[in-house]
Amino acid sequence: MKIRADVLRTYTDVHTWVGIVGGLALFVAFYAGAITMFEEPLRRWASPPVALPAAVALERAPELIDAVLERHPEAARAYAVHYRIDPDTPARVSWEDEADVRYGAAFDAHGQLVTARTDEAPVAQLIDVLHQQVGLPFEHEISMPIMGVIALLYGVALVSGVIVLLPTLVQDLFAWRLGRNLKRLWLDVHNALGVFSLPFHVVMALTAVVFAFHDGFYATQNALIYEHRLDSMWGREPSQAAPDAELLTPQQLAARMAQQAPGFTPVAVEFRQNPAGVTTARVIGYDAREMMRAPTYGLASLDPYTGRFTDTAYLPGHQPGWEKLVTSFFTLHFGSFGGAPVRWGYFLLGLAGAFLFYSGNLIWVEARRRRQRRQDGGVLPPQKRSSRVMAALTVGVCLGCVSGISVTIAAAKWLPGRVQDLEAAHTYIYYAVFLACTGWALLRGAARAAFELLMLSAGATLLIPATSLAAALFAAAPGWNWPGTARLVDVVAFAGALLFVALAVRTRRRTLHGDADSVWSLSRPDPSSAPAGARAPHASV
Amino acid sequence: MNAPPAAPLSARHWFGKVSAAVVLGYTFSIGLSGLFAWHGPGGIDAGSGKVQFNMWMLAPLWVAVLSVCFLFRSGLRAWLWLTAANVLVFGLLLGTRALDG
Repeated sequence: MKIRADVLRTYTDVHTWVGIVGGLALFVAFYAGAITMFEEPLRRWASPPVALPAAVALERAPELIDAVLERHPEAARAYAVHYRIDPDTPARVSWEDEADVRYGAAFDAHGQLVTARTDEAPVAQLIDVLHQQVGLPFEHEISMPIMGVIALLYGVALVSGVIVLLPTLVQDLFAWRLGRNLKRLWLDVHNALGVFSLPFHVVMALTAVVFAFHDGFYATQNALIYEHRLDSMWGREPSQAAPDAELLTPQQLAARMAQQAPGFTPVAVEFRQNPAGVTTARVIGYDAREMMRAPTYGLASLDPYTGRFTDTAYLPGHQPGWEKLVTSFFTLHFGSFGGAPVRWGYFLLGLAGAFLFYSGNLIWVEARRRRQRRQDGGVLPPQKRSSRVMAALTVGVCLGCVSGISVTIAAAKWLPGRVQDLEAAHTYIYYAVFLACTGWALLRGAARAAFELLMLSAGATLLIPATSLAAALFAAAPGWNWPGTARLVDVVAFAGALLFVALAVRTRRRTLHGDADSVWSLSRPDPSSAPAGARAPHASV
Repeated sequence: MNAPPAAPLSARHWFGKVSAAVVLGYTFSIGLSGLFAWHGPGGIDAGSGKVQFNMWMLAPLWVAVLSVCFLFRSGLRAWLWLTAANVLVFGLLLGTRALDG
């Protein structure tokens, strides 16, 4: 396809600059986002054992509810019955108090009520927040608009990248020129990755714009096109019969669910009481054959007195047309359709996305490389300061994110019982590691830091299975182990650690034996060759 | 934008073009979503699902304007063309609303 040369040049510049501004934040978003594909196994992995007797059988849930409501009347406002008993939902009945502390209930051997805190392990949520806020440590209200701007840049980067590639698409796409020209090689990889995962990236960019700005979008539409009628356009609360009947039991509700929505696996049912004393119910669960509105579940609102659906706007496979269309946007972002194969696919696409941004930065650095020339007498020129800083930042931010996430995940088995505020502890650990790595890379230069931080990433990621192994082998070690999908966390982390070691070894080889005229080389430039007006090269680079 | 002896396009004067796309591209997208909301399938009373869809439309529209704004030959032209586009789309919206009564 033919495109005017000046248009191509314009979009090449646009692509370069939006990429360099947004790239590092997008790396964090994609690496953390890839890990959120395993949010549920990770939460299970990180859930400490709870001091509760074995979960009460589902048939006895009504008894347990009565006992809870007698002792804790405040739970009547909202409580849940769990169909699925797991390390992260160990009790049959749970509720939250005014301070959002979650409690679970069970019966002891004598039939007496026992309750205990069953708060969610916060580490999976922390990684989700890192993902949503592209790694920014600010309040949600501040981070989200910044993320939105990054998402807009990302959208422009996709369009400009495609425009730049179009004229040579056919020649370049399947050509990986594995030669001496490293910039060409990185560009080929970057292009192929970008084109083949383009639909994924278009989805991510556009949905992220909406996730960042939806409140503002609605407010503007309300003022400019809805004539301030938006509040009345959301539809009415579903009406429900007056509570002159008995509530159905959770078991009966599950049976009614199965009749009306076969294929939907209920995980929990939440009961809420409105001020008029009417109880409403929402059944939460999943259906791997359908799209789900939330990252890991869909839900149905139903009348707990009759078991009839009152609202199926979020029920997989039972959504009205427009809701289903909108759910397709959510589900394409979350990978919450098609079950485990899609999650694995999204995990790999997410990591590939992180690599896309990483390789974009490498191309930027490579394009600004000062080459050693024979006509200059072969002296080694100093590299530009901007290249050195960007290379160091790329290494520090990306590997700082990797190491920080790994350390804070591993800490999930060390912190419970040792600190009060788990969430704050996880956050401090992440940012401490992240900032230390970034500082280290700026201090040491990209060539040294790349190897060192890759080894650190490997070690940090190895902490995850090592902690689990220690808990399995030594009674005195902190931590615990759960069967099932939680083991996946250890296996994936172990594979990740091996990958980082392999990358570290290759990186070391390049810094020692690769081209000397590069920010990635440990060879010292000849100080006498510094061009007039350029700063003297940093001693360590 | 097809006068032949034009200076070649470049990304240098990006601020005028991008600011036009941020502000007027946004309102233009809002206007288009308004046309869809009132006159698209199901009309204005199609329920909360369509209200959500109308909002979702803004992301691709806004990103599209932000992406093509670099093709304007100057920031001034970007502001003028996008003003015209806004006048057109909001004129259509207000006009059709007035006709509907």
